[in-house]
Amino acid sequence: MTALQKYAWYNLGVIALTLSTIGLLYPVAGKGALGGFGFLGLMGLGPLFFRKKSGKVMMDERDESIAKRSWNFAFAIFWVVAVMFAALVSTSVYGSEGAVPVWIVQSSVFVGMIVIYAMSSIAILVQYGRGAADGQ
Amino acid sequence: MGSKPERSMKNRIRRLRFDHDEMTQQELADRVGVSRQTIIALEAGKYLPSLPLAFRLAATFGVKIEDVFQIGEPEAENPA
Repeated sequence: MTALQKYAWYNLGVIALTLSTIGLLYPVAGKGALGGFGFLGLMGLGPLFFRKKSGKVMMDERDESIAKRSWNFAFAIFWVVAVMFAALVSTSVYGSEGAVPVWIVQSSVFVGMIVIYAMSSIAILVQYGRGAADGQ
Repeated sequence: MGSKPERSMKNRIRRLRFDHDEMTQQELADRVGVSRQTIIALEAGKYLPSLPLAFRLAATFGVKIEDVFQIGEPEAENPA
């Protein structure tokens, strides 16, 4: 498994932890459960997977190509989701003259981050999955 | 930068590895500065290397770049 694959699995794990924490706490703590978004800070440890190890290539040109395509895909999906919520859902829920609650605006930042990292991680794993079997 | 493999692009990396003292994928990867997974993908035709990597591969085997990569049908490896 390459460092980029480990990074993708790690990010998906952090996202799963975050969402499950919020889901479990929400019935008890209500909007306070949104503090669970703080677990997303663990993604800051992701670059540790790319620490240089002697004699081992951590990221080569194929990995960089896969990462670049994954980010492009993730931002494209994020843009679609963001536009859909900003232009369609918010209008249909709150009306064209309504006001969006502050907690939704705050949460949308974290949800956007989750969408980008989840889509990017899935795209990374799918691209590696389409590659050759790991055999000599 | 590498790109999606063309259907007609073939390579002889596996053959050349075995012709060079049965060099392992890891040894080749170390020599050209990529991961073993990339060598696997190259041999399977799932990935086209960048021009610098293609030259490094050819130099490692001591052959011309066109002896490693060909467009069209692969040459017969076991002629009768």
